[in-house]
Amino acid sequence: MTKQRVESFIVCLILLILEVTMALANESMSRNMKLLSQSELDGFGGIGEGISLQQAADGRRILWLAHESAPKNFTGVDVTDPRNPRVIVQTELPHSNVRSNSLDVFGNLMAVAYQTKTVGLKPAGFDLFDVSTPENPKLISHFDCSGPHSRGVHALWFVDGKTVHMSSGSSDFTPTNPLDDQFYRIVDVSNPSQPREVGRWWYPGTRVGDDAPPPPRMRAPLDMGYRAHNTNVFPQRPDRAYVGYIDGGAFILDISNPSKIQVAGQWNHSPPFNGFTHTVLPLFSRDLLVVSDECVLDDGVDWPKLVWMVDSRNEKNLVPISTFPNAPVDAFIKKGGRFGAHNLHENLPIPTSFQSETIVIGTFFNAGVRVFDTSNPFQVEELAYFVPSTPRLSPAGAVQINDVFVDEKQIVYAVDRFTGGLYTLELTI
Amino acid sequence: MERDPLKGKLPVTVISGFLGSGKTTLISKLVRHPGMNRVAVVINEIGEIGIDHDLVSMSSESVSLLANGCLCCSVRSDLQETLRALYNDRRAGRIPDFDRIVLETTGLADPASVIQTLITDTMLVAQFRFDGLVTLVDAVNGSSTLNQQSESVKQVSLADKILITKTDLVEEEVVSALRDTLRSLNQNAEQQCVTQGLVNPEEILGLGLSSRKSSEAYQRLFSGLPTTETEEELDKTQGRYLGLSQRSHPSGIETFSLVFKEPFQWDSFSAAIELLTDLRGADLLRVKGIINVDGRPLVIQGVQHIFHPPVELDEWPSENRDSRLVFIARKLQPDSIRLLFEASRSLQATSK
Repeated sequence: MTKQRVESFIVCLILLILEVTMALANESMSRNMKLLSQSELDGFGGIGEGISLQQAADGRRILWLAHESAPKNFTGVDVTDPRNPRVIVQTELPHSNVRSNSLDVFGNLMAVAYQTKTVGLKPAGFDLFDVSTPENPKLISHFDCSGPHSRGVHALWFVDGKTVHMSSGSSDFTPTNPLDDQFYRIVDVSNPSQPREVGRWWYPGTRVGDDAPPPPRMRAPLDMGYRAHNTNVFPQRPDRAYVGYIDGGAFILDISNPSKIQVAGQWNHSPPFNGFTHTVLPLFSRDLLVVSDECVLDDGVDWPKLVWMVDSRNEKNLVPISTFPNAPVDAFIKKGGRFGAHNLHENLPIPTSFQSETIVIGTFFNAGVRVFDTSNPFQVEELAYFVPSTPRLSPAGAVQINDVFVDEKQIVYAVDRFTGGLYTLELTI
Repeated sequence: MERDPLKGKLPVTVISGFLGSGKTTLISKLVRHPGMNRVAVVINEIGEIGIDHDLVSMSSESVSLLANGCLCCSVRSDLQETLRALYNDRRAGRIPDFDRIVLETTGLADPASVIQTLITDTMLVAQFRFDGLVTLVDAVNGSSTLNQQSESVKQVSLADKILITKTDLVEEEVVSALRDTLRSLNQNAEQQCVTQGLVNPEEILGLGLSSRKSSEAYQRLFSGLPTTETEEELDKTQGRYLGLSQRSHPSGIETFSLVFKEPFQWDSFSAAIELLTDLRGADLLRVKGIINVDGRPLVIQGVQHIFHPPVELDEWPSENRDSRLVFIARKLQPDSIRLLFEASRSLQATSK
């Protein structure tokens, strides 16, 4: 063989290997999960972290999704046949400097959050809608949280039809650091046309005028603020709120007297870890908390972002006992966009939600949606995963699975942050 | 939601067969079969099956993707390493997804050690499940090989399915005699004649229990179990399954089954099994059965000294609540085993 032929052979071989590597990189990956359908949601496939499932009076099952960013506000999808999801309504935001990001539905009542890009803008707060006719959501009221130092509501929890628990700013709240603008607020919506605040709690030292000194900051670029993220309250413990407080860590708050909320327990892994505690999910029958971080920086800059198992037998002494197994780090960390923990399916106390004290489902951005068996809390096992191929036009270059909701029939609804929209999956474990 | 201990694990089918039994021919046909999409086949000598024309891509240095979606994988340093690498490469997206594994053993391999590896390796047992042993025996040399090579006897005795190859090269009587010999070594395994390596994947895959659901897979796995209700029929069954008339093979290997009417407690049953494996594990080639433990149906399966974790079925497959066990064993008296289990149970009753 001549030298030229050898060289051209080698070039061909390299091209073949590259082609195969790239083709593989864009194949979906799955284990014990089957894709039933994907909907790009009429071209607006960027979804935030609000998913809930309404059982409509006419028998239809409507999945409600809050968009990641403008121009769309929320989308209602008929998932009665999960193999054939149909968009039935998609609403617009008033301007491009606001996002909804979060919503919850109880019965025919839907709460939708609004967070503005900068402080001082409107709408910043939440809306209550009557969705008894899903195609035509009717605005009942707006709860205003705008203010000179407020961006409004980032995330809300509304699972009893009476109370909105949320991460929000307020017109009367001046944070000691602008990153600490959103705190825990409880709003009574038992009269949906007249919501009223009944309680609030913020991290000591984050409000101008506090006795406590401002808390120490995470090092740049990890400083994401001492603010509330998920604020969950369950019927098993109506006197407790389970709150991820971003760089402040995980909190169990005693809310038995909403006007005088107290810390019942707290745990923070950071520093030395990289902050951003997102969700605190209690497994009540087992005295355990599943605590998820959120990855917020691309290409592994804030790695590791993990899911933690925490022993909560003694609220005052929360003890981490394990972390969930990670997707192969080398394979994902530079694959594009974010890689690491984010939202969990939160065992919503509504009839359409999957409930489990052992199976935990989470989202991991470019590592997709992943399912775990926590029967042995010291050694959590991965049971299943689905990593979609890169969605069309994705700016991240890889899928960014952002949030997940699992219904009572074990159908898994996972959403992409940018363009992929809704992935409907069947768990085959 | 309760997790099924079997469902969701990747099934592994093991193919064994003595040198010259036609494994390479079978594997080379199998990997090209349209029904092998998303199946990873671990092959000893990948060069021998000549896949170059069907190759779509090399996913890694040891894994090749064929046009039908079948993955051909060469063996690494050992079985554990090979299966771990396959699992990790799949999870990292370095190779395409596959749903099951077919594992070719070398001609001289003792399949018991392969099965034991699958059961005892902590990582493998968490991700994989043994789905059956398929053994090839060639009609031309099979009888003499069985007489001369103890490994081949073991390959046949442990099999869930026996494929008789090269039947087109010998007289019908030879095949018939070979079938009898094979039956004397392993009464439960279905026998199937295969020519030119042509076999439908469905016929050799899915031989094992795939979930705790008392389903068709169960029926397949335990089709040889006695199902009698009355003592009289039981006696007949025992006579038949004790296979006294078939104790003809010089190896002393035979298949027999035992039926127990009274339920066990787990402690007494496992104590009896432990004693049995301590004393005669090497001769206990294969044990499988359904046990009534305090009214619950438990499936047990063992190979020599090693037993799979017991699997509780979601319900009894029929009205029959008897404990039923099939043994393929070497020079073991069925009555001795029966007495062992009865003694263990009587001690349990006394201590209650």
